[in-house]
Amino acid sequence: MADADPPPGDGASADGPVDSAETSGPSAEASDADATSGPTTSGPTTSGPTTSGPTATAGAIIVPVEPTSTLRSTIAHVAEAAANDGAPALHLVEIASWRDGDPESDERAAAAERVLERVAAWATADLDDSEAPAAADVEVVTAVIGADDYLFGADDYVRVLAEYAEENAADRVVLDPEYTPVGNTTLLQPLEFALSNTSLSVETAPVDRPTRRERFRTEATTGRFVALFGLSLAFYLLLGDPTYWFDAVTGVATAAVVSITLSRVSLDSTPAIPRTPMRIARGLVYVPVLLYEILKANLVVARVILDPRLPIEPTLNRMRVIVGSGLPLMTLANSITLTPGTLTVRARDSDLYVHSLVPWAREGLFDGSLERWTRFVYYGRRSARLPTPRERDDVAILQGDDATEELPIAAADGGAVGAGDESDGGDETDAAESIDDEVTDR
Amino acid sequence: MTAAALEAARVWLVVALTLLGLFFSFVSMVGVLRLPDLYSRAHTASQADTLGAGFGLAAVALTVGLAGAGFKSVLLLFFIFVTNPTAAHAIARAAFEEGIVPWTNGDERR
Amino acid sequence: MSLVDASLAAGYTLGDFLLVAAAGFAVLAVGMLYRAVVGPTMQDRVLAVNVLGTNTVVILAILGAALGEPTFLDIALVYALLNFLMAIAISKFTVERGGVL
Repeated sequence: MADADPPPGDGASADGPVDSAETSGPSAEASDADATSGPTTSGPTTSGPTTSGPTATAGAIIVPVEPTSTLRSTIAHVAEAAANDGAPALHLVEIASWRDGDPESDERAAAAERVLERVAAWATADLDDSEAPAAADVEVVTAVIGADDYLFGADDYVRVLAEYAEENAADRVVLDPEYTPVGNTTLLQPLEFALSNTSLSVETAPVDRPTRRERFRTEATTGRFVALFGLSLAFYLLLGDPTYWFDAVTGVATAAVVSITLSRVSLDSTPAIPRTPMRIARGLVYVPVLLYEILKANLVVARVILDPRLPIEPTLNRMRVIVGSGLPLMTLANSITLTPGTLTVRARDSDLYVHSLVPWAREGLFDGSLERWTRFVYYGRRSARLPTPRERDDVAILQGDDATEELPIAAADGGAVGAGDESDGGDETDAAESIDDEVTDR
Repeated sequence: MTAAALEAARVWLVVALTLLGLFFSFVSMVGVLRLPDLYSRAHTASQADTLGAGFGLAAVALTVGLAGAGFKSVLLLFFIFVTNPTAAHAIARAAFEEGIVPWTNGDERR
Repeated sequence: MSLVDASLAAGYTLGDFLLVAAAGFAVLAVGMLYRAVVGPTMQDRVLAVNVLGTNTVVILAILGAALGEPTFLDIALVYALLNFLMAIAISKFTVERGGVL
């Protein structure tokens, strides 16, 4: 099962800075031990609260848990890390966003218990599967903490976490990259920052974040409904005959079905009167520019391809772009792909991984004219005047002689993921070929 | 007379667009056959072929006339310009996530 | 008289020319078929089939214009949609971990 594998690139991050287990109290008022309810055991093979913990080289690990899309792989990573480092215990804690005695608090506590039970089962299974000799010594402990108190922000969460860590001789916190305890607010960064002020060592689990599902399903608004209804009706009538009454009736029915079922999915922001028409108008300015760029570069690439010597020099590059996420990023990525010589391979947050066929295409990309045009289309003329990616130093070449950064690829055999010099070339080919065989056999 | 001249211009424009479309599709085919790895093949597949299809569909739109069915071919053209790079991106990304390392100069030709 | 019947040269009409062009696109598609058969990776095949599909769309549209059958354009539209879905779906399901799009 692919699920049971540790995420790519683990192990290297497992040996982070490890502080000594005896931590000084994080703050004066934090010594109020009542704020933390004791660890409760659950799950099939968990044992009681760690009283002492065998004082191994590493302290216990704490993982704050919330049901997120990356939780499974985070647990897999943490279990592997704990087994490799000989951590005495793995504490899976849920920080309560409710307070005992509140209405519905029982239901929420029960839900938290269910999550913890499932997570503990995962962790136990991962530890059982682990190859590391110390895996059997890792205890899995679950707890709900902070339910006696109202927690207002990152600082409160950190206080509760630090208390729990002190009680259980833990010195390390691993965060799920999608962890947001309160639900909608993005709390991870403030939480990481506040945790870095304590003596705990903090890391975010290096797991692949899948596409955020929230963006696909947004709340329905009248604006979106009307916009989608109008668009689909116009599309229907364009394909049919606008003057024929039957087409008009079926068109209205079809557009209603489409906009009722899909208006929450298909538009990611509500159309607004001054902004949306302006964007469309500026987009119309962009189209001929883009067409000209495509045509011009296509001719050059055609010459390269038809050249008998095939003078190509393909490399993978990374470029951090400032265009925002969602539709603007898609526009930019598609424009880059349409412009010959460059192909967007991956978009991770605002990092675009772009494959370039020839050096001049790469240089053109780093000059950032497409990025500038995208900003112009979506945000207007003023924001177009930011420095180019090259001036911002947001670019990197990942392959070939001029490589400035390592290739972030999960090499199949854990071998050289080298960019660097030509000698790495053989390894890369081997790795790629073994994958080829795998794929063709399937 | 002007109507006839206009029609002749349209006819030859259609011929020119079709030939351009054929040329870029030819480049795309040569690229897909010659280039060393998936990523570079995706370049021509997404770009040269999109342009080739674009010219071909523009010729069709001009032949049929924008009034009736020609609008559909403009729609088709727009659609291909949006979806082709997206599909190429998805395929390249699938390859990247499978761990296929892009070919660089000095590697063995495959 | 539609534009397709306009004579081009030596008694041949624009319609004839478009038919020949469609044949040319079909020949190019055969070249793509080679890549789809040879591979070597799954993604190479998907890519080749995707390009083949785009060629098919163009062939359908050109045939529609040359033969005076506007309904061919509707078929081409549907084919383009399916072609896109095919590429996305296959690339999504060949990746085991993580998602595409």
